[in-house]
Amino acid sequence: MNAKIMQAYKQAPWRVQLQHLFYIVLAIVMILVVAALYLNISAQAATAGLDFQGYEWQRQDLERQIANNIAILGQITSEENMVARAKALGYTPIAMDKAVYVVVPGYTGRQPAIFAPAPSSDMLADPIIKPSYTQSLWEWLFQGVLIWTNGAGGTAQ
Amino acid sequence: MKNNPFSRFSLLGVIFSLLGALLLLQLFRIQTSAATNKVMQENDLKNTVIDLPIETKRGDITDRWGNLLAGSKTVYEIGIDLRNMVKKESVASALATITGADYNETLSRINYGLDNNLTYVRLTDFIDLTKEAEIIKVQKSFQADGSNVLSGLMATPHLQRTYPENTLASNILGFYSYLDTEAGHGYFGIEEKYNEYLAGAKQIYRYARDPYQIQSLPQDTSGADLVLTIDREMQAAMERLADKALKDTKSQTATIIVADPNTGEILAMATTPHFNPNEYWTYGTTFPDSLAFNRAIGATYEPGSVFKVLTMAAALDSGAVTPETTFNDTGSIVIGGIRIYNWDRAAYGLQTMTGCLQNSLNVCLTWVGEQLGTTRFYDYLKAFGIGHRTNIDLEGEANWPLSLPGDPNWYTVNLGTNSFGQGLAVTPIQMIQAITAVANGQGKMMATHLLKAMVDKGHQYDNPPQVVGNPITAQTAKTETEMLATSLEKEASSALVPGYRVAGKTGTGEIPGPNGYVSGVTNASFVGWGPVDDPRFLIYIWLEKPATSIWGSVVAAPIFSEAFQTLATLSNLPPDAARLQLYGK
Repeated sequence: MNAKIMQAYKQAPWRVQLQHLFYIVLAIVMILVVAALYLNISAQAATAGLDFQGYEWQRQDLERQIANNIAILGQITSEENMVARAKALGYTPIAMDKAVYVVVPGYTGRQPAIFAPAPSSDMLADPIIKPSYTQSLWEWLFQGVLIWTNGAGGTAQ
Repeated sequence: MKNNPFSRFSLLGVIFSLLGALLLLQLFRIQTSAATNKVMQENDLKNTVIDLPIETKRGDITDRWGNLLAGSKTVYEIGIDLRNMVKKESVASALATITGADYNETLSRINYGLDNNLTYVRLTDFIDLTKEAEIIKVQKSFQADGSNVLSGLMATPHLQRTYPENTLASNILGFYSYLDTEAGHGYFGIEEKYNEYLAGAKQIYRYARDPYQIQSLPQDTSGADLVLTIDREMQAAMERLADKALKDTKSQTATIIVADPNTGEILAMATTPHFNPNEYWTYGTTFPDSLAFNRAIGATYEPGSVFKVLTMAAALDSGAVTPETTFNDTGSIVIGGIRIYNWDRAAYGLQTMTGCLQNSLNVCLTWVGEQLGTTRFYDYLKAFGIGHRTNIDLEGEANWPLSLPGDPNWYTVNLGTNSFGQGLAVTPIQMIQAITAVANGQGKMMATHLLKAMVDKGHQYDNPPQVVGNPITAQTAKTETEMLATSLEKEASSALVPGYRVAGKTGTGEIPGPNGYVSGVTNASFVGWGPVDDPRFLIYIWLEKPATSIWGSVVAAPIFSEAFQTLATLSNLPPDAARLQLYGK
């Protein structure tokens, strides 16, 4: 009786073979997907790394150019040059007895230079890179699984 | 043949196994030894990371309105890659023609590099953009003609300190020794005082050769930018005035300080001699024999009668005298066994305290000093900061210690001479800081300073005014200001400013020599402020050894008037009548 029942549930051999083939193909596809993902992320990381190196040089170059332009502007607008330009345009220093003073509503006078905002509480100490940019895929997976298991077990800290 | 567990084959097997195990053990030992680790780490570093020096920009310095006083410009280092060099004579010749570099010097540098198997040699530095462009142009034109005689010539940009205003405010700024590319340093003034902030932190950024390893950007370690309290136009005007005064009065040096008495901010600080910090190597010829770089802070002198402002302030504040207190001036007074005379040896008769200031009577002020008493007089001087550095934020501040009762070099006569500004020495900045307490009408002595704000990593940190003491009450300050304004008006002083009510005091200080005071030479000074009802400017003038006249009232007082008029015009300050009409104050 038992033998008959076993017989009734046994798969046909071609079905078993098909199942095995399916599992193998599934595994290969999964490996390929992971490999493609890994390759893609690695390629992006490599490009970002190379870009970063280039940007650093570019940043230094730009900072140098900015400093140089500020210096040139400083020279062009130096007190000596501005006085010479004013004279060339026909301006002369005003005599005190000829000055006329008027109140301009809303004008609070010349304000001292403000180059940057005052310090505030939202200041960042260091530039922050997300861990996902520095972790390998396996580290990311491992970390994710660890967090998930800790969370599921209620022991996450 | 019997079965033997220790057969020869088994023995060989054991031996080889042992040898193998030993080999493995040795391999393991080598791999894990400290020496190997060190070598491996060094190789790893060499092969996996690059050390990139980050150029740190020195912070800019601007005036209160943002006008650049010290900045950085791009210059080029010209060098040669010896691996690609073809003809060294052509390189030396091209550099000599374009940059003026010495031909033989260039050749010897190249030869040194070749002899020592170097790959790169620096040939010249601090080449400006125009010449660098010319070098590149010549190099390219050779290449276009199929010649590579200038191959290997390289131009590397870097920053150089520059002062676009040249001599303007040079005594305040100091200078930076930019030719020393490895260990440049700020000297004197702001450049030295704030060198640590301006310089930033030198940084060598280590990044991985492996581009997969993404790293954070190196932190910005550039130096902080400084905003000074000075006003460029006022500074330029005061420097021109100091130069003119030097010439007109044939003085040895001239110093003018302008401060805001309400905040202690220095608006202008002109002193002679001045020089161009772009050519800082001329320092030795401009300031021979350890002449103070900035005489406003770095030179002490006996100020004479301008010091009476402090003596009278102390006497009024302590209640020893009032403006109406009278003194019968007989022309001389004896103190500590020494007879003191007035500046002209005349007797002025019955005088109020205002009259004593108006006529600048040494005899009267000696008497005032006696009324105050030794203890109170010197307590007030200490409260005014006399004998102590102001700690102004400039490098090179000098100080002459104040002799106090009990000191071996203090005698009773000092009370008398000190009360009219002789027998002690001060810097102009000490005087101006002390007198802020009188000039602002509040009795608050403000810390004189030049830093208005610091800009660091995208944020501006303001430097607020600081009260460093309350030596006198507001009432005393107002009373003395009124006395000094009245005395100038009664005297019809050349310090008066048309349209503005000002207060002030002249000073003519004798100069001590090895055998007592030197006759015929003086230090002429004037301290004044205004407008009296709303003080905006506190001005101190010091002319050293004027030749046209020895009297402060003759040579220094008119300079105050001219300085005040210029400052009022530059700051759009209406005359008193117009101000009262427009603003009601």
